[in-house]
Amino acid sequence: MIALKNLTKIYPSKTGETVALENVDLEIPDGSVFGVIGLSGAGKSTLVRCLNLLEKPTRGQVIIDGEDVTALSGKRLRALRRSVGMIFQSFNLLEQRTAAANVRFPLELGKIPREEAKRRVGELLSLVGLSEKADFYPSQLSGGQKQRVAIARALATEPKYLLCDEATSALDPATTESVLQLLKKINRELGVTIVVITHEMKVVESVCTHVAVLDQSRVAEAGKVEDIFSFPQSEIAKRLILPDLIRSVAGSGKGNQLRLVFHGDASDTPVISGLASECGVPANILFADTRRIDGKTFGHMVIELPENEAQIAAAKQYLTSKSVTFKEEI
Amino acid sequence: MNSLLLSRLFTQLAETNAFPLAVWETVYLTFASAAIAYLVGLPLGVILAVTDRGGLKPVLWLNKTLGIIVNIFRSIPFIILMVALIPVSRALLGTSIGNGAMIFMLVVAAAPYVSRMVESSLKEVDAGVVEAAKSMGASTIQIILKVYLPEAKPSLLVGAVISTVTILGYSAMAGTIAAGGLGALAVTQARPSNAQDVIWLCVLLIVIIVQLIQEGGMLLATRTDKRVRAKAGRSKRAKTEKP
Repeated sequence: MIALKNLTKIYPSKTGETVALENVDLEIPDGSVFGVIGLSGAGKSTLVRCLNLLEKPTRGQVIIDGEDVTALSGKRLRALRRSVGMIFQSFNLLEQRTAAANVRFPLELGKIPREEAKRRVGELLSLVGLSEKADFYPSQLSGGQKQRVAIARALATEPKYLLCDEATSALDPATTESVLQLLKKINRELGVTIVVITHEMKVVESVCTHVAVLDQSRVAEAGKVEDIFSFPQSEIAKRLILPDLIRSVAGSGKGNQLRLVFHGDASDTPVISGLASECGVPANILFADTRRIDGKTFGHMVIELPENEAQIAAAKQYLTSKSVTFKEEI
Repeated sequence: MNSLLLSRLFTQLAETNAFPLAVWETVYLTFASAAIAYLVGLPLGVILAVTDRGGLKPVLWLNKTLGIIVNIFRSIPFIILMVALIPVSRALLGTSIGNGAMIFMLVVAAAPYVSRMVESSLKEVDAGVVEAAKSMGASTIQIILKVYLPEAKPSLLVGAVISTVTILGYSAMAGTIAAGGLGALAVTQARPSNAQDVIWLCVLLIVIIVQLIQEGGMLLATRTDKRVRAKAGRSKRAKTEKP
């Protein structure tokens, strides 16, 4: 597990100091795909660079598997970095090396015997589906292929953790999806804990089990994705998670609007028709945005009920009985 | 230049041994000096790039000190530097004349220049790639040997071509200290007797040598650059499509 305690990073600047991270406390559980989302400038990239100490925290601790790594240097720091893989938005492949030689690079650094390295490179390239491109140079690969090579390279040292800094931000939607599926597979099959830095909600939705929302150098909120998605508490989380549309239809504030939250349980129950047929309450759908993730339905629906206390109460009772989560405050 | 002059030139070339020897001496002075200048300048350039602000291992006092020394040597005109180095050469090599002394002086003049060329090539290497290597646990030495130098190779080769041509230019002053080469031949032997044809032939030969170094070096730089490989293939196709 990676734990951050009171992590603060301050950059000196001409006009004084720039605070990139302020008292960040986070726990990244083993086996999770942990998303860190925020607008640009929120401190996401600094946060992920503190995890492998590419940036030295100004204050606070980074604790990996029970060991405070903040003070590590020299050999021990390099050993730590070998146990934490990292991929980047701009891939950062060595341009003068082939795909295979790029994947071999960290093995050369660790002085792994040639034969063993060769075998590992073969396995890794096949894991990311690029066995045929082994002898291609980065300039001959597409963006998605480059990121796959980078992933294979980051996994070469068999790290327990993989850090992804905006790894899909330079890719088109279809390629993004396939890279995300690859990350998911790595998480599931190799048990690698993955930290995903992104500004795209879709990325979190698609792969993450946990998420932390970063706002102005602080953690606004953090938890399991379904909890944060269903009930965002902070203003920034609401802005990021609830689509603009839901915020524009809502807000009449009359109390006869409900936001139904689907997080995988009640999705098969036809609740809206049930409302009409079982309690005689006609509901108007103002907004619906639901999608299926891993066979479960997630999303939001805003319905409008008649302005009638009794009918609203009946509707709420019905929804509770069907274990549909709802919020009166949109 | 008329054809009579040209034909006299080539007769001259065929009849005397002076030209092949001068060509050989020019090539020898240039490449020996360039090689030794790189032995000194390459590590120096690496240190300049690595210790700079924002470099791999910033050591500002060292960077500033080396930078000032390099700048001082680069700002002294070569002919003055040669004169100044006469006692130094005598002390170190036991002589201040001849090809050995000339190589020493060329190295002193070229090494600082080479170090700046190397520094600028290394600074072109994508900082993201260096960061990626760091994230994989690479040590400073490993980053220099496995990232900076191989990734900068095409640019280093271009720099080497420019440096070598510059050294060739300096080597023309070899006559001043009784060393050889085409420059010496033109200045110390042909000029006093006003043998215009010899002078022009020296110029022609120097131009040819420069062309060969330039074209050969650039070809090597492009050939070894894996970034342009795909693009070069395309442009070649585009060329053949032209009528």
